[in-house]
Amino acid sequence: MEIIFKIVAIGIITCLATIIVKPIRADFSIIISIVGGLIILFLVINYLTSVFDIFKSIINLSGINSNLYRLLLKIIGVGYLVEFTAGICSDTGNSSLGDKVLLGGKVIIMVMALPIITSILQIITELLPS
Amino acid sequence: MDVEIIFKIAAIGILTAIVGQILKQTGKEEISTLATLAGLIIVLIMVLNLLADLFTTLKTIFNF
Repeated sequence: MEIIFKIVAIGIITCLATIIVKPIRADFSIIISIVGGLIILFLVINYLTSVFDIFKSIINLSGINSNLYRLLLKIIGVGYLVEFTAGICSDTGNSSLGDKVLLGGKVIIMVMALPIITSILQIITELLPS
Repeated sequence: MDVEIIFKIAAIGILTAIVGQILKQTGKEEISTLATLAGLIIVLIMVLNLLADLFTTLKTIFNF
């Protein structure tokens, strides 16, 4: 877990680099901050795979339909991606654009979750006495 | 995936700014704008490569 030192160091270095570059070229400082975020994501993403593997083994043990798990994984991915992009948008000063990206992510997650909701409704209607 | 890309981008930014200033002072305005634009495009391509890497890894991890 000594990777946390790496992440912290990258964060501080990125901040310092943006501070240094900002008065010289303002557009490059934004790019540097984006790249710093990307590198931190890349460092963390490998740990995410191991966590998901453990989740997958748990799901296989519990006998839940693996399609549901895959759908859940996709929804989590959309959430992370949208959050990251919205952060970049608000960093560059387009916070309203970031809000729209968040809205798009919410709509997409809603659409992806609709099969789950319909299956729940079907189970409820089967349980109800007609 | 390392920290050096941050330094690389910062260095390119400072370098293109200096080159642009020098070219501007020697009276070559068009070439200076072209040089700054070239630096920006180089950095944007680097960022685009990183973003493409991110998207491919996300696709493999989240089973898209």
